Amino acid sequence: MDKIKKILGKDLELSILVGITLVVLIAAAAAFGGSMYSGRNIQSMAFQIPEFGFFALAMMLSNMVGGIDLSIIANANTVAIFTAYILNGTWSFGTEGAARVLLAVTAAIITSLAFGVFNGFIIAKTSAPSLIATLGTMTFIQGIGMALTGGSSVGNIDPAFAEFGKAVFLGLPVIFWIFLAASVILGVIISFTGLGRKLYLYGGNPVAARFSAINNEKMSILVFMTTGLLAGMAGLIILSRVNSAKVGYGDSYLLQTMIVCVIGGISPNGGKGKVQGVIIAIILMQVMSSAFTIMSLSPYTKKLIWGIMLIAVLGLNFAVTAYSQHKTLKQSMKNLQGALQK
Amino acid sequence: MDPILCASHICKSFIGVRALNNIDITINAGEIHCLVGENGCGKSTFVKCISGVYEPDEGSIEINGRVYQSLTPVEAMKNGIQVIYQDLSLFQHMTVAENIAISKLKFEGNRIIDWKQVKSIAKEQLDKIGVQMDLDKTVGETSMANRQMVAICRALAQDAKILFMDEPTTALTKTEVGHLMKIMLELKKQGLAIVFISHKLDEVFTVADKITIFRNGNKIGDFESKDLNEKSLSYYMTGREIEYQRYHRVCKDNDPILEIDNLTRTGQYENVSMSVRPGDIIGLTGLLGSGRTELAMSLFGLNPPKSGVIKVEGRVTDISSPMAAKKCGIALLPEDRFNQGLFIERKIKENISSALINSICKKGIVNKKKENEIAHKYVDELKVRTPSVDTVVGTLSGGNQQKVVIGKWIATKPKVFIMDTPTVGIDVGSKSEIYEQIHKFADSGMAIIFISDEIQEIMANCNRVFILRNGQCVKKLEEEDLGQNGAEKMIADLISSRVPEVSAEEAAQ
Amino acid sequence: MKKKLDQYQKMLMVIIIIYSVFVALKNPQFLKVQTVFDIIKTSSTTMIVAFGLLVVMISGGIDVSFMAIALFGSYTSLYTMIKTGINNLAFAFALSAFIGVCLGLINALLINWLKLPPFIITLGTQNLFHGIMTTFISDKSFGSGVLPTCLHQFGQGTLFKIYTENGSAGLTVSLIPVLIAGILTYLILYKTMLGRGIVAIGNNEESARRAGFNPFIIRLFVYGYSGALAGMMGIVYAAQVNALYPNKMVGDELMIVAAVVIGGTKITGGQGKIFGSVLGVLIIYLLNSTLILIGLSSSWNNLFVGAILVIAVAVTSYQERVKNRNHLIFTE
Repeated sequence: MDKIKKILGKDLELSILVGITLVVLIAAAAAFGGSMYSGRNIQSMAFQIPEFGFFALAMMLSNMVGGIDLSIIANANTVAIFTAYILNGTWSFGTEGAARVLLAVTAAIITSLAFGVFNGFIIAKTSAPSLIATLGTMTFIQGIGMALTGGSSVGNIDPAFAEFGKAVFLGLPVIFWIFLAASVILGVIISFTGLGRKLYLYGGNPVAARFSAINNEKMSILVFMTTGLLAGMAGLIILSRVNSAKVGYGDSYLLQTMIVCVIGGISPNGGKGKVQGVIIAIILMQVMSSAFTIMSLSPYTKKLIWGIMLIAVLGLNFAVTAYSQHKTLKQSMKNLQGALQK
Repeated sequence: MDPILCASHICKSFIGVRALNNIDITINAGEIHCLVGENGCGKSTFVKCISGVYEPDEGSIEINGRVYQSLTPVEAMKNGIQVIYQDLSLFQHMTVAENIAISKLKFEGNRIIDWKQVKSIAKEQLDKIGVQMDLDKTVGETSMANRQMVAICRALAQDAKILFMDEPTTALTKTEVGHLMKIMLELKKQGLAIVFISHKLDEVFTVADKITIFRNGNKIGDFESKDLNEKSLSYYMTGREIEYQRYHRVCKDNDPILEIDNLTRTGQYENVSMSVRPGDIIGLTGLLGSGRTELAMSLFGLNPPKSGVIKVEGRVTDISSPMAAKKCGIALLPEDRFNQGLFIERKIKENISSALINSICKKGIVNKKKENEIAHKYVDELKVRTPSVDTVVGTLSGGNQQKVVIGKWIATKPKVFIMDTPTVGIDVGSKSEIYEQIHKFADSGMAIIFISDEIQEIMANCNRVFILRNGQCVKKLEEEDLGQNGAEKMIADLISSRVPEVSAEEAAQ
Repeated sequence: MKKKLDQYQKMLMVIIIIYSVFVALKNPQFLKVQTVFDIIKTSSTTMIVAFGLLVVMISGGIDVSFMAIALFGSYTSLYTMIKTGINNLAFAFALSAFIGVCLGLINALLINWLKLPPFIITLGTQNLFHGIMTTFISDKSFGSGVLPTCLHQFGQGTLFKIYTENGSAGLTVSLIPVLIAGILTYLILYKTMLGRGIVAIGNNEESARRAGFNPFIIRLFVYGYSGALAGMMGIVYAAQVNALYPNKMVGDELMIVAAVVIGGTKITGGQGKIFGSVLGVLIIYLLNSTLILIGLSSSWNNLFVGAILVIAVAVTSYQERVKNRNHLIFTE
């Protein structure tokens, strides 16, 4: 019993999250039974998770260094637009079929990395607050997309690419496997590698990191480069599912990714959190999202619930932290009294 | 001398530390009363209890005929208590005039701002202390010394009866300190009670009438200034039963590890030259603003010099970043332990490995076993008092925290270890342990640059001393010089505000 | 009190003037009175909320829920007027502003209690408010037919007209709420102790406390004021558009943050100029309206605004960093 208490207490927030998720999953089963857990719905959820999931991973990474990357959605959309132009022949330089797809994916990766480096560079070299810097780059990147498309969608994608978006492997979508793989890789890097350790230290106290001979500028550029890449992946997935690219798609995801990160235990001040928490939070959000669809809630009601959730979770986290600080203070006062009496 | 304020049995504790233990102090009008003690002994905490920032756990405060268990900031102000904190509490983006007048106007309940009134209040106070300043400049654009004046004016504007000044001279030059002392004497004549907190003995004797000595949260005693001298004062302050062993260099290797030749960074330090051998513990001292921390940062890659040469082991090196410094074998123990040295929410072992992350990894993966080994090794070697290496650093005492930061850098096996005021806010026991360890490091061939403004500390721990003033090196003392009688006094005189200008020849030695 | 414009504002004015000259040369259409009046009309709503945002940012915070508040306030107010038949402009403004104040106070309370970054909290309340409105009040759209006529009159109203060969150009009545908001903000910030308190807590909350200010009360005012201005803006917007939609305005917040930042207000708080915000908003609307005149479609707006914002932020942040580093102050 004590051993279980110890494991749960080790990461109290994560344990609470898992608990809430289990409750919701069970409640969903009770309320919706077949419609929620049918093979078809599970596969449908598995199709929806990856694009949101990549955004969430990107937001998580930027939160962990105490910042925020507002440009991820604009990044995804503009990359999708570039890719779409290649795939529908406008910019394909004579390639066709598999070669064209290869060119498109490569271009997508390079572009998303470039946008990320752009962010990282500004933030690292000028010490601009990430909120405002990425607000600027978000507007700029979106501007590129707008200038190219005028706001209309880019379609007529090479069918091979669309097929990829629908492909299934071992019962689950290929894109889901890709997302899972990316999460695992990211999780391993963060939790087990030296780079991950530097990330935690830099996020927790960048000044001390600087004084510990950690290369802050490199970390900053690396982090935003990665968020850019993750955003680009999201863009590719969106393109493959929706079969077209458009400025402004998925704008509402921004709030949801923040909610997911907060629920997942990522502190917006940086230096705390794990990938596992975010993944569980994503599952929780997805089940709730499906539930909303099954209940035919209007998009407005959904917004309301997300808003309430964010505030509620923030409040809960705050209460838990305040309580544990109170306990620590009491304990150390007791220690002091004890020490004085000796 | 009428008593204005009487504090009795004041006690205050925080997480892990008993900051004040039964403090009784009486403050009289028209008197300059100095609270002295080493860094971290409780002086600032006491002031915060009186001014309403903290609530004392026990005790009472009697002022203007009433007895209080605790004061709110507003009550304190109503009773004429004004505090100038070390950070001056000024508003960077507001003008000088506004900074001076705002508290007074707010206190008097004004709802509307009359800018003419603001300016006239400001001018009035500046005239009181005989200072001229551009009232429309923002505080952010004003010099440190002028900011000090602004803070004083702000307090005066509110009819202070007692003015608490917490370490007012830390950022001032010699002339500015002299000017400040004159103003304090003038204000005293006007009937103000001034409580002046300092750990700088020479300044204390220049102006204080009465001295109260703190040590480790306890009051050692009240003394008339004329009944004490620097020696007896420092005896009471440090509880000198612990005699610090003087350090003598035993290392035989005389090839310099680090050489600095005419290093200059305009506005901070100029033409500083130094030669550091293995086993040297070089004391670098001078007032704040003398360029010592600036120099240290330059050697660590955080403050690139404009001209001059740095040679590490004979090779000319450009130290452009902390990473480069670490590669050259130069380590820095920063001045601000809390913000710059520690990852407060992380474990001891994670702090200790934080400068060594690449070394504890195998193919990129963190080797937990190695990390634990290194952590245990240095926790034992440095005698960090903790139940385990997994304890969060934030729960440790100041002394133990500092040992962790020292451990972090010792683990990188540096050739030169620059320590910037390493024993600030640390209890006496930990201090002597740290001194012991520093001697051991030096014996094994490490070179140490020890920055401090506590002269006892310098005398005990250094075999050579460099004295900086206004960015220039005004005196270099070698081991023989330090052994002579009067060395201590000479150093004190050189850094203090009392000494005549050192001639150019002497400075060139 | 410094009456002069500081360097940054002067630079912004120079940019505006140079750009305007450039546009005028390329396309003399720009110099018509109509164009100028159009810019004033379309930017009027943004100006109003920009003043509120300015005050919030000076206090060291940020608010991204103001559009949702504007929507909530105006929608509820006009909905009430439709259902009850009231046709009084003052009522519309008053009720909308009142609702705005209440919602703003909720923001202030949450920010004070939860002690978490205001950005995230107001992001949550943005959705909360919008969601509550559409779920519990109504989510229907209303056209000009059912809206109170006073609204349309206001939206179309002009202070005076100038007659040219091509017709008449009218200076919009919407300028009045803008002027009121601007003057009120100026008076509060520079003439009242409350205003100085706002600047104080934005500079250093602890020092402000020591000087006797109450940060909690000040925050209540700041977010309440921002809410009130948002409520007012909602009515002006509805009047100009002459329709009531449940899903407009929300989503444009970040552009207004951009305008205030371009105007020289730092997100770190403690400083900010009213005129700077005016310039920032003008730059954005100038770009929006004039890109067409020099041959670029309106799709190029974001590109230019984004570029300007990035440059403005990069330059000012770098300057601050250099200053800090010279004093050996490290914040990252």
